[in-house]
Amino acid sequence: MTAGRNTLQRWGATPVARALLALLFMLAIGCMFNAEGSFFRWSVHRDMLRQVSTFGILACGMTVVIITAGIDLSVSSILALAAVCFAWLTLPASWPAALAIPVVLTVGLALGSLSGALVARMRLQPFIVTLAMMVFARGLAKVISGGRKITNYVTDPDGTAHVVDLPRAFGTIDSRVLGGNLSIVTIVFLACVLATWVLLSRLRAGRYLYAVGGNQEAARLAGVPIRRTLILAYAYSGLLSAVAGICQAAQETQGDPETGMGYELDAIAMVVIGGTTLSGGKGSVVLTLIGVLTIGYLQKILSLNAAPEATRLMLTGAIIICAVLFQRGRGT
Amino acid sequence: MKGEPVSSVYRPVAGRAGGVESIRHRAVALLCTAVIVAACGAGQRQRHAGTEEDPWIIGMSQCNLGEPWRVQMDADVREAAAEHPNLRVIFKDAQNNSLTQRAQVEEFVEQGVDLIVISPKEAAPLTAPVAEAVRQGVPVIVLDRAVQGDEYTVFIGADNVRIGRQAGKWLREALAGAGRIVELEGLMTSTPGQDRHRGFLEGLDQAANPGLEIVFTGEMQWLEPNARREMESALATNARIDAVYAHNDPGAHGAWLAARAAGREKEMLFVGIDALPHEGQQYVAQGILDATFLYPTGGAEAIATALAILNGEQVPKQIVLGTRLFTAANVAEGGEAIN
Repeated sequence: MTAGRNTLQRWGATPVARALLALLFMLAIGCMFNAEGSFFRWSVHRDMLRQVSTFGILACGMTVVIITAGIDLSVSSILALAAVCFAWLTLPASWPAALAIPVVLTVGLALGSLSGALVARMRLQPFIVTLAMMVFARGLAKVISGGRKITNYVTDPDGTAHVVDLPRAFGTIDSRVLGGNLSIVTIVFLACVLATWVLLSRLRAGRYLYAVGGNQEAARLAGVPIRRTLILAYAYSGLLSAVAGICQAAQETQGDPETGMGYELDAIAMVVIGGTTLSGGKGSVVLTLIGVLTIGYLQKILSLNAAPEATRLMLTGAIIICAVLFQRGRGT
Repeated sequence: MKGEPVSSVYRPVAGRAGGVESIRHRAVALLCTAVIVAACGAGQRQRHAGTEEDPWIIGMSQCNLGEPWRVQMDADVREAAAEHPNLRVIFKDAQNNSLTQRAQVEEFVEQGVDLIVISPKEAAPLTAPVAEAVRQGVPVIVLDRAVQGDEYTVFIGADNVRIGRQAGKWLREALAGAGRIVELEGLMTSTPGQDRHRGFLEGLDQAANPGLEIVFTGEMQWLEPNARREMESALATNARIDAVYAHNDPGAHGAWLAARAAGREKEMLFVGIDALPHEGQQYVAQGILDATFLYPTGGAEAIATALAILNGEQVPKQIVLGTRLFTAANVAEGGEAIN
């Protein structure tokens, strides 16, 4: 009996339990302000999951980088670059999506690796390196798109224009399965969560990531390949940003070079609200999943109740602090 | 000059010997510079003849090329100018920074352009530079957003209240005076957002048409992903929606995507504003939007007005641009002008 209670208490003090508590707090708010009962319909939750998926995919990559005590500000720009590349390859260049997707993912992977190499080999601050990459990738996206959105309205070299059919891949990515109850992008997000979980918890590289973030000097002495591990973290984040970019393009049915402005801050907030610490070495992707849902529900509840924008910003700030306090809450 | 070595001119003032001498030299140099600058200033006007060999030079300062509508404005200016071989336009992008834009206006004056076209980021910080250019004898055409006071040559712009009113009127007639409407607002701290909302309510005239009801309002801040999120909420909380009015076309498109995902896009009308050729007009042609209203860039009008000014003709101080309505029926013919 006592042993059972102790186990429960110990479980209650784990980061996952605390993060779940914050999520439950958010769900309770949703039940209270349910917008004439619409919060109790699955379609609302399904739409929230769709809306939060691109952020969630970015947050998975961000988790890996933050665990190494780094930060990746370039995710939103790589997302936009990937969206533009994907739209450009499939629409004006009319490549099949099966060919375009690997190319776009390679672009994300390459830019992420470049950031990682600068951090690991040149020993530059991750903040500065990824800030520079953020600006560079946004500029590249604008160059490729010519500053315009790339849509299915294609301008020919001679100046005339015509409408092409959107490739099937766009519709497929932005569709739903299981009787219309789950969006494909949400499944992509959950697959990214699973992949990140395998990387962090089941592979040796995952243990290296925690070791580098916890104490780089100790990790080096223990024989952890620091440089390779850091490059892996940023490359992975770049790759997932490209995945998110493809999802964004499919959902918007276009490649917009301006898309995703400020998403990096949402992704960081989701990771931190989950309980992964910015100082590195601690955290998990399960926590990030809970953090993503917490912020997703917050946005959904405010939107459902048609809260005015000013109120929304203030409430978002206040509720984020409440959620973090809830998570720290007892014992500290 | 007492035949001192020239190098003494460059001796530091702090050095006692020759201090007075060097100050005198400096005063002379300063005076010469002032005379040269004044001479340049006097000769600055009509430096170019406006012929094919010596074309007029127009400086165009755009506040932010990050926005597709402003990219279109530059494209319209470029296209209009291309028809006149006696004109050359220099384009600059202030990247959403008022001080950069201020520097661009000053640079244009210094490099001796014949006329400046500016689409200012905001009124207050750019009023003085524009006034200064006018005082230096360079005519300035202010596009889209105004500056304070009247020290500019011509203002060309559209009226968002009027366009919002047309959108409201169109929906009132399309819905025959009764219906449930969703309004997706732009950034409501910006004047266009406020004006498009105010005009819409005037055009809707709910006092005379109590059957017209705005059942959901969401601020999507001009952004398509936000519009989709807001529209999903509107769909979740309203079993019936008859029309969506979005303050821009990407917003209306985002709403349509949300409605289509819910299988409800046939249930309602979608109305947007801006009608860019590559955006809103295409959405109408593809049957996504039911109507969109042109928010004209004024690029072509700016070039026409610039030519009139350079040819010494009289031009009005204010030019208010009309809008055009695009529907499935008229989009192929380039829409219909309404005033």
